[in-house]
Amino acid sequence: MEYEVKPRFYTVAEINGLIKSEMENNPYLSNVWVKGEIYNLTYHSSGHIYFTLKDDSASISAVFFKYANKNLKFRLEDGMKVLVSGGITVFEKRGSYQLNVLQARPEGAGELQKRIEQLKKKLSEEGLFDQLRKKELPFLPARLGIVTSPTGAAVRDIIKVALRRYSNIEIIIAPAKVQGDDAAASIAAAIRELNKPRWNIDVIIAGRGGGSFEDLMPFNEEIVIRAFAESAVPIISAVGHQIDHPLSDDAADAAAPTPSAAAEIAIPLKSDFIDEIEYLKTRMTNSLSNNYLNYKTSLKNLTSKKIFRDPYEILNSRQMMLTDTEGRMVNLMKHRVSSEREKLLRLPDIYRLQKRLLVQKKHDMELLIQNLNNLSPLNIMSRGYSIVLDRNRSVIKSVEKINQGDTVEIRFSDGSAVAAVNSVKKEN
Amino acid sequence: MEKDKKLSPKTSFEDALQDLEDVANKLEGGELGLDDSIKEFEKGIKLARYCQQKLEEAERKIEILQKGADGEVKPGRVAVKPDTGEIEDEDDLQGSLI
Repeated sequence: MEYEVKPRFYTVAEINGLIKSEMENNPYLSNVWVKGEIYNLTYHSSGHIYFTLKDDSASISAVFFKYANKNLKFRLEDGMKVLVSGGITVFEKRGSYQLNVLQARPEGAGELQKRIEQLKKKLSEEGLFDQLRKKELPFLPARLGIVTSPTGAAVRDIIKVALRRYSNIEIIIAPAKVQGDDAAASIAAAIRELNKPRWNIDVIIAGRGGGSFEDLMPFNEEIVIRAFAESAVPIISAVGHQIDHPLSDDAADAAAPTPSAAAEIAIPLKSDFIDEIEYLKTRMTNSLSNNYLNYKTSLKNLTSKKIFRDPYEILNSRQMMLTDTEGRMVNLMKHRVSSEREKLLRLPDIYRLQKRLLVQKKHDMELLIQNLNNLSPLNIMSRGYSIVLDRNRSVIKSVEKINQGDTVEIRFSDGSAVAAVNSVKKEN
Repeated sequence: MEKDKKLSPKTSFEDALQDLEDVANKLEGGELGLDDSIKEFEKGIKLARYCQQKLEEAERKIEILQKGADGEVKPGRVAVKPDTGEIEDEDDLQGSLI
């Protein structure tokens, strides 16, 4: 029997799809670190970065998308040795693959970085970076010391900025090598030189312009960091850097990202001081003249008061008060007198009334007396009646009180007679 | 600086400027009598003059230290272009003190 293994035919798209699926799902290929040198670098206007990563024997395309490279702290350059991480992606249409870069760092940084970290830890434990050690920068420095290469851009930038800010500053440059094997020793020696009292320096700027990670290494050397920390003169670390700051920044009294910025920190703007003094002078002058004007106004207000203008005023007002009181008193008295008089005038009426009442009473009395008269026994007797009295001169009102032989007195209206009772006869 | 301390050449610019500001504040406070405010004003003017004088005290001068053959470090005056900060006679410069 003959078996014919029928080959399976794929379309190109199918095979590319299969490869894509295989590669992109492979955990080993989706997260790798690759070491290489950059070339054919393109910073595309879209924000994506395209380059080829190569070493001596091979190359691979790489893409660094905008979303991933936006946090990149340094600029990639052709020829730069880098360490990148990311995953392999397949472009099905062309059957090509590339490295999708998620992060990148300069190669070689790793070892040095580790050394720096160790040194940092050691010096930090010694207290070299303590905030308490940091000195305040002078308010108005007269002499600026610079430690850097006399031929580099850094010294020019510092001088330019310093003179622009303060035209009559004194500058002492202590030249130092800022790259090469003896750079660290040279920088440290220059810092120590400027600390000698004979130079009478107020503030030091020590640093260099920007460079590669390796270029800045002298400012991560222990001897340099110690020189910064031990400087009795306030010192500013001025190393141009973009990614990690050098340890000299931690040891210095102040740090700046560029030499120019250091000069701005160290040297005050003379015109600010001049403006400030002028401003204070103006404030003083204004205050003084305001003060003078205030006193003048107060004085004017005082002297223009009526009492000073017309001293009789004080008398007049008292006079007026007196007159007023007097008038009121007189009026009161007048009123009182007239009211009393009115009362007096009303008195005769009462008298007349009393008199009339008396006349009436008298008349009534006369009438009464008349009536009384009519009732008087004498009056009755005058009409022919008489009264019989006993021996005790009591009136005998009944025949029973009288006996035969009694002597009685008979009273008449005009006299009396004594009589003897002859007989008594009682009637009903 | 103490209130009654006289200005001396040793008084720092910073102290004098602070005193000047204090004087201005005092005058603006409006609590001084006329005589006192004139006294304060005079003091302030003296301070202002002193500050201005201090600002001009430094002399514009740029020197570069160089190590001689005898090992001694000496200052050498150099000319610079102020607008660029460029040292004009760069050719003679040594790169280091060591």
